[in-house]
Amino acid sequence: MNMIEKILARASGRKAVAPDDVVVANVDCLLLHDLSGYLTGRVFEKEVRRPMRYPERVVMIFDHHFCPPSEEGALVLQENRAFARRHGINLFDCGNGNTHHVAVRNGFIRPGTVVVGSDSHTPIHGTVGCFATGLGNDSHAGTVMPFGKAWFKVPETIQVRLTGTHRPGVTPRDAALWLTGQIGEGGAIYKSLEFSGPYIEQLDFWDRWLFPHIVVDLGAKCGYIEPDEKTLAFVRTVTDKPFDAVRGDADRKFEATWEWDFSALEPQVTCPPTVGNVKQVDEVIGAPIQWAELGGHGGGRIEDFRLAARILKGRRVHRDARFNLVPSSRAVFTQAVREGLVELLHEAGATWFPPSTGSNQAYNMGAMTANEAMISTHARNFPGRNGNPNAKMYLASALTVAASAVAGKIADPRQFLKEF
Amino acid sequence: MTEKIGGKLIKFGDNVNTDVIIPGRYLVSIDPQELAKHAFEPLGPEVQKRLWVSQVVVGGKNFGCGSAREQAASCLIGAGIKAVLAKSFSRVFFRNCINTGLPAVECPEAAEVAADGGEIRIDLAQGRVDVQGKKFSFASYPESLKQILDAGGLIPYLAKYVLPQQEASKR
Repeated sequence: MNMIEKILARASGRKAVAPDDVVVANVDCLLLHDLSGYLTGRVFEKEVRRPMRYPERVVMIFDHHFCPPSEEGALVLQENRAFARRHGINLFDCGNGNTHHVAVRNGFIRPGTVVVGSDSHTPIHGTVGCFATGLGNDSHAGTVMPFGKAWFKVPETIQVRLTGTHRPGVTPRDAALWLTGQIGEGGAIYKSLEFSGPYIEQLDFWDRWLFPHIVVDLGAKCGYIEPDEKTLAFVRTVTDKPFDAVRGDADRKFEATWEWDFSALEPQVTCPPTVGNVKQVDEVIGAPIQWAELGGHGGGRIEDFRLAARILKGRRVHRDARFNLVPSSRAVFTQAVREGLVELLHEAGATWFPPSTGSNQAYNMGAMTANEAMISTHARNFPGRNGNPNAKMYLASALTVAASAVAGKIADPRQFLKEF
Repeated sequence: MTEKIGGKLIKFGDNVNTDVIIPGRYLVSIDPQELAKHAFEPLGPEVQKRLWVSQVVVGGKNFGCGSAREQAASCLIGAGIKAVLAKSFSRVFFRNCINTGLPAVECPEAAEVAADGGEIRIDLAQGRVDVQGKKFSFASYPESLKQILDAGGLIPYLAKYVLPQQEASKR
């Protein structure tokens, strides 16, 4: 069995499971955010009307709002808070960071466990060695909250074996964006993707994070990286609680093995209107942007701010562009303060925002007119997520985002890096 | 679950995402009728008008991809849609359809030939689709999903079969 099959077998009290088996599994963690918690809560309280079975396993994080701009937003948060208090679940209020980062940083995500959530990017927790997938309000309210369980069909698994070393100016996010284009939207519907190979092994935890991040937009049910010493060492920095990490058998079988090498990869830019429209940076150089942003599920990491600082040291944000910096967690902001990145990027003309999910769907920030464009580290670029449906969203690495903020238009980061 | 569904169809392409089906700013509601007013709003009022007089939504590959919002299924129910048929579905959208009691049928051949604005008949029990004068078959649901659809969705299903048993076992 592979890691996912072993986790699902253990969570459903079986010795073994195989693809297409339907199991009812114990859920170790349920993640809700400010846009889903109160809606799930209404179904749970009005229609299910049973006690919360394991309140300690339920985590609600406010990340789309960091300070509501309207009474409507304030009411949403009020309803969420009241629900959380009535049932004694974990609550992380405004300003704590992006939902997935907060969950990991506070030790709720442990290797070998089953994690579900209302955010479609919940599979990102496969980075920690979990079986993690997104469900919907009714599954959460109907089976997870009252019974601590959910049903799952065991997916087929595809091995994604990655090799190579990047050229300068190319980052793991470029690799992840490029892979999204290669596999394609819907290119792995219902599958589980195991990311492995020397490329993945040499990455640190938060760079590995960028790969399970993409699986939902490929149509996959889940994605994961087998936990190794790096994973376990990271998890021990965020929790004292015991966990039982799982790795697949050496003779595990895959439905297919896909192999890619990143040695010749160039910086990538995902263009509107969907995440599958990935181009090499030189095809879009010069496209106008008014906004640049580091933030979102995969962005706002300390690694992103370090990369931006490499570009902005001794330079300034273009007078016609605004550069938003959104830490993914309070811990990242503290680290950015310690490393001098807060001052450096602020003095260069960028603007720091509270830890949150930033312009993701423009709840608290990030609305654009029909004539505006943004380049960011966000996960999606679908029309209408940021104000007018004709506004454009480009996705790129922190280097390319920062270079574009300096140029006021999409730029190749290599022109700003010393080694070129 | 109404076993035979039919009527006018509205056809979409590949990779239709949930931001297009129901924009995020309307997610403050879970009322299907309220949500239906904004279903497919990003595609403009003409598409919306055609949606509201259709009974079946036909999609291409990976229909319903993107955010996991359950309202992407319930807004279609509010708009009077009785079934969604596509070449393939994003898995969360498929799950949300079943959980809200909206039949989601995977039948690539029928989705290919279906003509926008045309008539379609779907027989869920027999696994048959009748469109453009042609007949196609699809794999019928496993028993577990059929029961959820028959009950009208996951919550009505739990209310009918699971919650009463749990109550009884406590006594």
